[in-house]
Amino acid sequence: MSDRQKHIRNFSIIAHIDHGKSTLADRILEYTRTVSARDMEEQLLDNMDLERERGITIKARAVRLDYTAKDGEAYTLNLIDTPGHVDFNYEVSRSLNACDGALLVVDATQGIEAQTLANAYLAVDANLEIVPVINKIDLPSADVEKVRAEIEDVIGIVAEDCPAVSAKTGLNIGDVLDKIISDIPAPTGDENAPLKCLIFDSYYDSYLGVVVYVRVKDGVVRAGDRIKLMSTGAEFDVVEVGSMEPFGLQKRDLLAAGEVGYITASIKYVGDTRVGDTITLAEGGATEPLPGFKKVNPMVFAGIYPADGARYGDLRDALEKLQLNDAALLFEPETSVALGFGFRCGFLGLLHMEIIEERLEREFNLDLITTAPGVIYKIKMTDGSVRMIDNPSNYPSPDEIAEAAEPVVRASVITPTEFVGGIMELCQDKRGTFIDMKYIDTERVELHYILPLNEIIYDFFDALKSRSKGYASLDYEFSDYVPSKLVRLDFLLNGEQVDALSFIVHEDKAYARARRIAEKLKDNIPRQLFEVPIQAAIGNRIIARETVKAMRKDVLAKCYGGDITRKKKLLEKQKEGKKKMRRLGTVEVSPEAFMAVLKLDGDDN
Amino acid sequence: MQEKQPLGIYIHIPFCKSKCGYCDFCSHPPESEREIERYLNALMLNMQDFSAAAQGCSVDTVYIGGGTPTLLAPKQLHALLDCVRDAFDVEKDAEITAEANPGTVDRRALRALRKSGVNRISFGLQSANDAELRALGRIHTRADFEKSYADARQAGFENINIDLMYGIPYQTRESFAKTLDFVRALSPEHLSVYGLKIEEGTPFYARRDSLPLPDEETEYKLYLDAHRTLSDAGFEHYEVSNFARRGFRSRHNLRYWLDENYLGFGVAAHSYFNNQRYAYVSDMDAYIREMESPRDMAGILSECTDIDVFTKETEYVMLRLRLFEGLSLDAYKATFGRDFLAKYGKKLERYIAGGFMRAKVGRIAFTVKGMYVSNYILSDLLEF
Repeated sequence: MSDRQKHIRNFSIIAHIDHGKSTLADRILEYTRTVSARDMEEQLLDNMDLERERGITIKARAVRLDYTAKDGEAYTLNLIDTPGHVDFNYEVSRSLNACDGALLVVDATQGIEAQTLANAYLAVDANLEIVPVINKIDLPSADVEKVRAEIEDVIGIVAEDCPAVSAKTGLNIGDVLDKIISDIPAPTGDENAPLKCLIFDSYYDSYLGVVVYVRVKDGVVRAGDRIKLMSTGAEFDVVEVGSMEPFGLQKRDLLAAGEVGYITASIKYVGDTRVGDTITLAEGGATEPLPGFKKVNPMVFAGIYPADGARYGDLRDALEKLQLNDAALLFEPETSVALGFGFRCGFLGLLHMEIIEERLEREFNLDLITTAPGVIYKIKMTDGSVRMIDNPSNYPSPDEIAEAAEPVVRASVITPTEFVGGIMELCQDKRGTFIDMKYIDTERVELHYILPLNEIIYDFFDALKSRSKGYASLDYEFSDYVPSKLVRLDFLLNGEQVDALSFIVHEDKAYARARRIAEKLKDNIPRQLFEVPIQAAIGNRIIARETVKAMRKDVLAKCYGGDITRKKKLLEKQKEGKKKMRRLGTVEVSPEAFMAVLKLDGDDN
Repeated sequence: MQEKQPLGIYIHIPFCKSKCGYCDFCSHPPESEREIERYLNALMLNMQDFSAAAQGCSVDTVYIGGGTPTLLAPKQLHALLDCVRDAFDVEKDAEITAEANPGTVDRRALRALRKSGVNRISFGLQSANDAELRALGRIHTRADFEKSYADARQAGFENINIDLMYGIPYQTRESFAKTLDFVRALSPEHLSVYGLKIEEGTPFYARRDSLPLPDEETEYKLYLDAHRTLSDAGFEHYEVSNFARRGFRSRHNLRYWLDENYLGFGVAAHSYFNNQRYAYVSDMDAYIREMESPRDMAGILSECTDIDVFTKETEYVMLRLRLFEGLSLDAYKATFGRDFLAKYGKKLERYIAGGFMRAKVGRIAFTVKGMYVSNYILSDLLEF
């Protein structure tokens, strides 16, 4: 280990949502005087509006801090913030691999939750030194000793002398810094070995091109070096290297083994710099990449359409721009009879999808129509071929299907014991297969289930929260494809099938789902001049029906005292509304109504 | 000599004894006799201002609406009409209408009205069912109306309109049938039958969820009931909400639909004159002040729009189609120099096929069913 490396600590903070990860990061920044309290904007690291509002970290981020420890030595701390949601597990694992240790924040009032465990396991997998930090000790219901015991019993790491802090008030933050210096190992790595940099994030900047965040594992990289991305073989010339300071990038001469920093190399697409990939030198570079790289595959798919068909081009531009910074976002053009031109988009999960939708609407000012999210089904055809179906429209007819399979996940739910009954019932209802149940302590239980992903993305999380008064936590990971009795549920308005409303569902769920959507259609389709029959069908079999009665009255009876302008304005407004209407066959439906029908508010209510 | 342009005069009297729960017109109980006097004075000044501009016009209708014009003393109404005749060239056989609320006029007042030149009276009966009248917040009863109506006949009114409403709280098809029978027996010359619309800002709007209103289907049936009953009784259903015996269509209201000029005076009064549509604000103080000492006429206009040929065409179609006789293809072509069907025919097909519109010889019109969803159809047909 070089002397330089001795004074570096690379760490991240991991936690279950709302346990105070970002607040702790803020306090550390303040404590090291990297950011003065005056300049401190709450949660500096979460600098996307959306992240601040939702209180979650969506993208990884990193910041370099200078800290003079008690021993009088100056240290460089690299704090790598990780995304805090199951949708981004792979990104979390790569961020963790860029570190040598992790602070595991646990809420003193809540104890260990599903994502505490999931994140702790990821850190263990990455061979990180885990430093537990018990947070929120200022709260009256904090029980530090109990949580300490829980950490030791459940995760199996020593928590005897772990810092107990209040990130909110700043209490005992110094203990955390001391622990980082004393417990987290300094990086090791050979500056003279061929260059190996782990990419843990990248983003597109219109001036610099793609800015790649890396942890240098071995070797040295400088401006002017010709580098190679090992998964694709693509080569670029380094324009600049440097470190991430709290208020921006700081150019440096070089990045050497053990350091965390950024590289720019006139790279145009973030897709070229995949998280987890290894950067080496084009000449005399490494022969073997760092382990663990994989291309992340979207698990959730939905059609996204502009509410105003004329904005198709804008939507395409916006998706392209978002993709610049989000290689996990997939999209390809699709056409719907009902909705016109749009895109079939692939997402890591539901949260990822919601984020993309919100960003499209906020940052690009688009009104969207999004079809019901679905998963990829694996269909063995009678001719022996296998097809992966991410769009209900392409679902083969039953007589062509030899066997249909759907993705299932291994889910872990941690809940207070009093809600176990209700949650097991829910999992049962969602076609779950029970694996096991472990007591964390006398009050809390960890349940394991195999659950179909398409149930999870339907309404599982909301139902879980409502059945546990918000206490249960969930984590899951993809497990396998299993054979399933799947059907495509279609909806017909006025006898014409509306492709955008079709979805794939388990046969046992089809009837209830059909009834519910038919009712929602009835409630949301504005009355037309004609009566509109609504039918739900599996193939040719109608399994539910409703009727939208004909509109009877839409007239301005009184045009008072010659106020013609008012009547004209009224019609004008009506016309504006009509322009936004989508024609589903002979039926006109507003985008709002369409979205209301597709809104996932579950079977429970 | 050039032929004089026909012109209508509308005068708004914004005073009422009390405000009804559904009313969103410009009206309020007068604060004092002085407020009334000042307002009438302002009206007269307002009319004198337009005297010169309307020199080439011949007034064939005058309409005094409200509010409750008959809240004014007969003397005051008389002076107002004198002023109209003074400022404008009013034809001898002009239709001169005053709105009256039952119970606000006695025989003497009606006689005075008649003497002042008013030859048509319009009573706001709304319903012949006292419970429904109370629910609406009306201050009169059916008996009050019966008396006022008889008094009007005695006073020599030969052209009487009765306003009715349907779709009001507690109303049923049975109760509406009784109201229709009641008015039919009186044989007025004209009937206006309006559907109640709950307007934002009214007390009814605030209570809209708890009001015992008939549902949309029933309301539609009420409208059809009015159409059938009154048609059978010899009334012509000539406009969305208006029925008349032969020769008694409201000439003043017709001009709204026939693209003819009218000048409105008073707060919230609308005008269509010299290819402009404009309206005064409903702020009484502002209106009076401006009339007493003119500063900035534009300041008391709540709207003012130049009607270009494009707008005129839109309005023409929208307004003519309010009449059941519809729009004449020849007249349209003569006015706008192009073929109506070439422009609208494709869209019309579906409405004609659905029985919402009909093409009779040389005309396009709504059917009874289509008239009731005419906003929906017009907003599809027209460009704005």
